Amino acid sequence: MSPMKLCVPGERLCSTEDCIPGTGTYLRHGYIFASLAGYVLRKNEGEELPVISVVRETETQLLPDVGAIVTCKVTSINPRFAKVHILYVGSTPLKDRFRGTIRREDVRATEKDKVETHKSFRPGDIVLAKVISLGDVQSNYLLTTAENELGVVVAHSEAGAQMVPISWCEMQCPRTHAKEFRKVARVQPEYLQA
Amino acid sequence: MDTIHACFKEKIGEVLLPGDVFSFRLPESGDGSIKSEKIICGPGLRRNGEEVRVCKSGILRHKQPNMYWIDSQQRRYVPAKGESVIGIVTTKSGDVFKVDVGGSEQASLSYLAFEGATKRNRPNVQVGDLVYGQFTIANKDMEPELVCIDSCGRANGMGVFGADGLLFKVSLGLVRRLLAPQSEIIKDLEKIFPFELVVGMNGRVWVKAKTVQQTLIVTNLLETSENMTSQQRQTLFKRVAEGSL
Repeated sequence: MSPMKLCVPGERLCSTEDCIPGTGTYLRHGYIFASLAGYVLRKNEGEELPVISVVRETETQLLPDVGAIVTCKVTSINPRFAKVHILYVGSTPLKDRFRGTIRREDVRATEKDKVETHKSFRPGDIVLAKVISLGDVQSNYLLTTAENELGVVVAHSEAGAQMVPISWCEMQCPRTHAKEFRKVARVQPEYLQA
Repeated sequence: MDTIHACFKEKIGEVLLPGDVFSFRLPESGDGSIKSEKIICGPGLRRNGEEVRVCKSGILRHKQPNMYWIDSQQRRYVPAKGESVIGIVTTKSGDVFKVDVGGSEQASLSYLAFEGATKRNRPNVQVGDLVYGQFTIANKDMEPELVCIDSCGRANGMGVFGADGLLFKVSLGLVRRLLAPQSEIIKDLEKIFPFELVVGMNGRVWVKAKTVQQTLIVTNLLETSENMTSQQRQTLFKRVAEGSL
């Protein structure tokens, strides 16, 4: 492989007639410019022109996109929303932890105003959620669990044991047999390991 | 029927320490005539698989038909849902008051949670006021929330109080004794002189009598009756009643 060329934001890479712009680039006055600092990558996609993109490292970093299913861990709860750290996008682990927010009205699809966050999530739970918005500069990713397959997957009880789901809104501790409220995800049978 | 209850019965009224275990060896399931027994574990007891463990030090108590709990003494209050407490308003921020209830976090009290309060008609609550309210949300993961209104929308004795009088702190065990339905301490105190009393489950008590001296007498009597037997208490109250007449 030929050594990769480095570029900085604002550097003119080539004209639109030679390549199609990919990620990390933008079009201006008929030329393609880089918007990130990194390595220039040219790929032949099978269309007429190759795709030119700028990547930070040699592997492409997967960023959570709108509509992606992410796995996250709840860090704190509030009567109005829950704050989470996004750990996996799909099945790829992320190198950095991105922050996300699940608002109270995005927890369920039905009866949105009757949701109580402390009965849906608790700090330490692992939750499957979907990204609905990337947010502004300061705010985090906005996530939702308003589907049957989204919600709490792994949770620990007050006694410290991993709880077993018994319905879409309750989980039970195998040691103390105490029931706790969570918004439980309905995992497809083929993903459950025996 | 007797195996589980017998294990508990021999320890009722005894002092237990955290880590004590009640383990039940159920007989082999040969005969099908075993009745299933239900036991309710109250505060201080926790089930761990096939055994019941003691979590707090105290005396084991029993209430018919099948409730057991540990009666423990502590001074530090942990907010629990449904309990009525006395709080002190510390800050007013926007629509919410921050109230100190003696727990690890301050509780929040919305200004709409008073009787007859609307967005235009705000309640008259200042920083430093005493409020008597109930917890709607109280768990270890979120800050607790207080309301001064019951589920029907009526105040029911809750709200701001205490223009005069004295607020002091006692242990939680004494508070539970004061709030029991037929409390002997209250009955004996009533005979001495009339006074107003508000008891919060967070260990705070507010007293107001006709004069400052009577208020202080009631305060001292309540604080000392924590560590006295009922006989000592009655002799003390009699002495005070005769002395004040």
